Parts: sequence; C-alpha cells; structure tokens
Amino acid sequence: MISLKSLLSILILLSSTMHCQTEILKWRKADFSYEKQIHSSKRDYSFDSENAGEFLTKSLTNAYWFIISDVDGDNCPFRPTCSAFLLQSAKETNIFQASLMFFDRFTRDMNIAKGHDHYPRVSAGYYYDPPQNYTLNQGRIKYLPTAFIVDDE
Amino acid sequence: MRKIIPIFFLIPIFALSQSTSFDFHTPENVKKFADHLFCEGDYLRAIEQYELINQNLDNDTIEFKVMLGYSELGLYSKSNELIESCNYESVFYPDCYLLSLKNELILEKHEFEYPSIPSFDSSQWKSFGRLFAISMLYSDEPVVSKEEFFLIFEKDEQSAVSLLYDYRFEPPYKSPALAGILSAIIPGSGKMYAGEWGDGITALVVTSLFAFLAYDNFHADHTTRAWIFTGLGAFFYAGNIYGSVASAQIFNARIDFEFNNGLELFLKQQNYFLPQYDFCE
Repeated sequence: MISLKSLLSILILLSSTMHCQTEILKWRKADFSYEKQIHSSKRDYSFDSENAGEFLTKSLTNAYWFIISDVDGDNCPFRPTCSAFLLQSAKETNIFQASLMFFDRFTRDMNIAKGHDHYPRVSAGYYYDPPQNYTLNQGRIKYLPTAFIVDDE
Repeated sequence: MRKIIPIFFLIPIFALSQSTSFDFHTPENVKKFADHLFCEGDYLRAIEQYELINQNLDNDTIEFKVMLGYSELGLYSKSNELIESCNYESVFYPDCYLLSLKNELILEKHEFEYPSIPSFDSSQWKSFGRLFAISMLYSDEPVVSKEEFFLIFEKDEQSAVSLLYDYRFEPPYKSPALAGILSAIIPGSGKMYAGEWGDGITALVVTSLFAFLAYDNFHADHTTRAWIFTGLGAFFYAGNIYGSVASAQIFNARIDFEFNNGLELFLKQQNYFLPQYDFCE
C-alpha cells in the first residue's frame, strides 16, 4: 500500500515533468532576422515640389534612389544622406546654391579622413551634417560638438 | 518549555519592529532626512522634503538650501524665483543674492548693470567682484585691461579666465571672405585655412583631377568627354569656394560655442558661495 506521503511526492514530481515541456513555442527556433534595415521604405518618391529647381532635384534624386541607391544599399556615412542633403538644400535655398552645397558635401564625403573628431553623430552612428549649417547664414548655424549624439535622424 | 522560550523572545521583536511609537514625519526628522539627501547630492528629493516642512519651520537655512539645490540642478530661473522669499535680515541674504547673480549670468548672458548691493563681508565682496568681472565678458568691448581683469582671480583660475577673455575680446575667428578667396586661388586652401585639412586636400586632388581629365580630353580631341569633365570640375571648384566660406563660418560658430559653453562651465564649477557654511560636516 502506498503511503499518502509517497503519493503526494509522486504527484508533485509528475506535475512538474508534465509542465516543463508544454510550452512548445518556447523551445522552437527563433525567427530572427539578421538583415540590415535600410531606409529605402521611408523614402518619399512623390514629386511634391514648389518650384522648377526643386522639381529638377527631386527628379534626379528619385532616379538615383530607384536605379542606384535602393539596389546598392545604405552606404552614405552622413545623415541626412547626400541625396537627401541636395533635396533639403534645394528646399532651403535655390537650385544654384543647392548644387554648390551638394558638390561641397560630396567633396567632404570623399575625404577618407573625415569625421574622426569632426562631426557629431546620430544615434545610429552616422555623421550628422545638416544643410542648415551651409546656407551661409551665420545665424542659422547650429554648432554641435563632436561628442554630441543627435537623437533623431 | 524549550519551544516556549524562543517564541516568548521572538514575539516582542516582531511587535516592536512595526511599532508606530516613533514618528518619522515630524518636521525635525524630515529635516534630518532632507539634510542627508542634500549632502548626498540628491537635491531634487532634498528639496521635496524641505518643501514639506518649510511651512512649519521658518528657517532661512532651508530657504537658502532650496535655492542652492535648484541652482545645482540647473533650474536657474526656479532658483531665482526664491530670492523674493529670502529674508533681507537673514545671514544668508548676501549668499542668496550672489547665487541669484550667478543664476542670472548663466541664464541671461549679459553684463550686470550696477546692481544694488547688500552688506557683504570681505570674502563675499571678493565673490561679487569675480562675478562682476565675469559678467564683463558679455560686454561688447573690454571694460578693463586683461592684466587688471586677472587681479581679482586666484592663480589656479587665471589660465581658464585668460582663455575666456581671449575668446571673447580677441577671438581667433577665421575670415569667410579670405577663405573663399584662398580657395579661388588654390582649390582647397580656404578649407585648410579654416582648419579642415582633410577636406582641403581632397578638394585640391578632386579639382586637379577633373582639370587634368578635361585638359587631356580636349588635347586628344574627345570634346564631349572633355566638356563633361570641365563641367564637373567647375562645379567641384565652385562648390569648394562656397564650402570654404561655410567652413570659416562654422569655425567661428565653434569659437562662440566654446566661449559660451566654457563660461557656463566655469561658473558652475567655481563655488564661491559656500566657503564659510559647510552644511554637510
């Protein structure tokens, strides 16, 4: 005859073994994506322009995004990216000034020693370099030290 | 019997541990707790506790400590609102006044306009003099010479003050026009002048490369390619002149930033206001 003490012990042991494997999901292979997220999905391809200059830069940028950048991946070390920089510059100034700002940015991008102690960064690690600092309007320049981390892109 | 004796001892322990005979919430005890928090540098909680008891205890030390706490937390305008509640007769009034001047200097960034001064002792006069001297750094022109300016500061402060003085009245600004002209003569040199050596060298290499490609293609009668390289070279050249002007402006903005930031940091670090009151001894 099994004593009450043994019965209780067996019941406790059984219940623990019954429950330990019930959560099948817990043991399943996790679906984890290692793909690097790119921002192409966030890109605005609309031709929402206020003047001919903006329309021209938007057309060029859209073509560049569609044919090259979306395929090539997120390679620009700056934020905003060089193409977005051109668009924002055209919005802030005019097509001529925006072109000069873009070629200056492009030269800075080609500098292999850029950024080590030069630009602040966004939280994802890219160099933060907004077009507002290059409009030649001293009052609009917002200097940020190198160690500064900008919260949003 | 063996079981009864431990139970007999244990029951009173539990009973006493939850006893309400000791009141933690008397103003005196709250003040002790707040003093502890203040000395630990937990100013926000200390102020919370002080404000709980400030109605019950008319205490000028608490008023000053709340004001000081807000200033330490960087809430300068909140700290300055409390100067009204500082009693003019209080021994802390001159310190409240100096603290409010310091807060105002950090907030408003302007020169003092001969404020009405309470009765100071010698060390407070010294503190006031230093604050007043620092406020002169916000004037457009130097009010006194650099040598006279230094006299009021301690030796270990003089190097920092000297740097701030130079940044204000002899700032090492770069001329945007000169940067543009230099880049027009030698591409990239304006950037180098503005301290951007890497960008300057890159601009020189890129512009020279396109100029060479244009020249070489014209020379070889590849006119279309030559014009494409000419156009690209011209844009890089003009973009570099533009960028050099912008770089010089950004350099100047950095000088202004370093001055303002340095002065604020200096003011925060120099604690001239509590030499004779050690609240945390």
